[in-house]
Amino acid sequence: MSRKTILYVEDNEFNRKIVRQLLAQTSYRLREAPDGESGVRAAQDELPDLILMDVQLPKMSGLDATRQLRADPRTANVPIIVITSYALSGDEQKARDAGATAYIAKPYSPRDLLSKIREIVPEA
Amino acid sequence: MRLDRTDPLAAFLLRSPIGALVDWVARVRASVQRKLLVAFLLITLLFIGMGAFSVLTIREMARQSDLLDRAHQRLEWSQQIHQSLAMQMHLTAMALLVRDEAAIASILRENNRFNEALGRLEEAVEEPERIVIQKVRAAQEEAMAVVADIANLVRDSKIEAATRLHGSREDPLYRSIDALVSQMVQQENARMVRLRDGLHAALERSLVVMGSFAAISVLLALAGGFVISWMLIRPVHAAHGLLHELAAGRFGGSVTVPNRDELGELAVQLSATSRELAHLDAEQRRAAHELATLNAKLQQASVAKSEFLANMSHELRTPLNAILGFTEMLTDGLYGPVPAEFREPLLDIQTNGRHLLRLINDVLDLSKIEAGRMELSLGEYSAEEVVNTVRASLRSLAEEKGLEFKTEIDASLPEVMLGDAKRITQCLLNLAGNALKFTKRGRVTLRAAREADLVHYSVSDTGIGIPADQLEAVFTEFRQLDATITREFGGTGLGLSITKKFVEMHGGRIWVESRLNEGSTFHFTIPLKSEVASTV
Repeated sequence: MSRKTILYVEDNEFNRKIVRQLLAQTSYRLREAPDGESGVRAAQDELPDLILMDVQLPKMSGLDATRQLRADPRTANVPIIVITSYALSGDEQKARDAGATAYIAKPYSPRDLLSKIREIVPEA
Repeated sequence: MRLDRTDPLAAFLLRSPIGALVDWVARVRASVQRKLLVAFLLITLLFIGMGAFSVLTIREMARQSDLLDRAHQRLEWSQQIHQSLAMQMHLTAMALLVRDEAAIASILRENNRFNEALGRLEEAVEEPERIVIQKVRAAQEEAMAVVADIANLVRDSKIEAATRLHGSREDPLYRSIDALVSQMVQQENARMVRLRDGLHAALERSLVVMGSFAAISVLLALAGGFVISWMLIRPVHAAHGLLHELAAGRFGGSVTVPNRDELGELAVQLSATSRELAHLDAEQRRAAHELATLNAKLQQASVAKSEFLANMSHELRTPLNAILGFTEMLTDGLYGPVPAEFREPLLDIQTNGRHLLRLINDVLDLSKIEAGRMELSLGEYSAEEVVNTVRASLRSLAEEKGLEFKTEIDASLPEVMLGDAKRITQCLLNLAGNALKFTKRGRVTLRAAREADLVHYSVSDTGIGIPADQLEAVFTEFRQLDATITREFGGTGLGLSITKKFVEMHGGRIWVESRLNEGSTFHFTIPLKSEVASTV
């Protein structure tokens, strides 16, 4: 089986670096996008196996981007894990309403994030 | 002026000149007592006047009646004189027939009666009649002289001469006396009729006058009563109207009354009070408005503060995510084996990073609660699950400190209850975490028990305790008992405040019991089926 592609949409370089280094140890291929709009474009171009979507993003919020991807038949079924820094009640519901497959609160443990990714998209 | 409670007659009268009189009396500069006194005196004087007039009338009537009596008497005397004269004439004729001494004596007796009555009449009459009487007396005396001559002739048995004398002298004399006396009787009679008619007329006149007097007196008394009572009623109505306005909260009106007495002063005072009330009311309204504006500003500031905190917490969390993430990957050996001497500082970074994260979380929670944007996500939950989660989270900490950590769950609690499991767990984590933190030896016990339609959670410890005067303050933000505690035991100082708010949002109650150096017990209750307040 070919390697699974993961798209990470996040504006903070350090957080992207964490995921980059975390996945470097695995067989996952990582694509990165620094804002909501480029995230949507990258998803439509690459058709990844999983999308990690931050909520607070420049240009377009993670929730809007998720909605847009769900509306597009090509990306409608791609799993999306929404990452938010507002770890409050209601946030999870908002993420799920937007079409997220799963929800993870920031700050997350890289260990936990990796196990969540593996749970949804097992490595090749 | 308010006339709304005045009957139409009074309203009509008040518009008439009598109304002007009411105004005039009101304007008189005198006390109400004096005005009333004068009014009553006037009315009393009217009735005294009427009484006096009655007395005068009665006296006049009595006098007239007396006059009538006397006239009657005189008429009687005149008639007696007339009768005596007739008797004398008759007796003289008799004496001529019987030629008797006794008959002559009878004439003399009758003559005496005649003179007596004439004398009484003469005393009672006035000048013109007295002249007639004197004429009668003169004629009578002449007649008596003739009678005496006749008597002598009769005694001498010269009957013929006596009869002649009687025919030629006495008879004409008697006839002239008779004419005079008849005239007198007629005069007296006419006089009496005049008097009687006069008396009747006077009686009728005085009845009319008395009636008019009484009617006028009653009218004047009514008018006086009307004037004096309306002089009093009008300012009372006006004051009542103003008081009604004041009672309805419409301040600033005034009463104007013409009175220059106590009631006038009262009206002035009332108007001043009303103005003062209006002034106070306006001031109070202005203050309330200012307060409302200030309140709105404060509210805005509070919302702005909360939003700022929420944004800040997000901005803080992003780099914190990187710090904690890199540290974890380092300790997990993602970058290769970690030298032994690096392990402790790495752990310190992680511990402090997590503490910072707790602080940020608490600040975010509190700011959301204060901005009214915190919502519970209610669902069915089990007390057992919540307690077990707390025990699992804190077991390692208890073991580290060598403390016994017990949990007790009341079997009578329902299997599922309504509430926000995540927040209730957070509350118990705060309380049990604090208990473990502030206890150096002994045990911490977490209980969940049923109490009627409430679930009662409690966390007891054998720790340092809280002084009695600080028991309430522990639920206030940033209120650890003193700074040394923060240094020694850590914690954000927000946990209890947040716990209290979550409990209250569930419609519950939180309190603490404590003995210094013996331990504390924190309690909170939550309705089994909580009616949730959306904000606190």
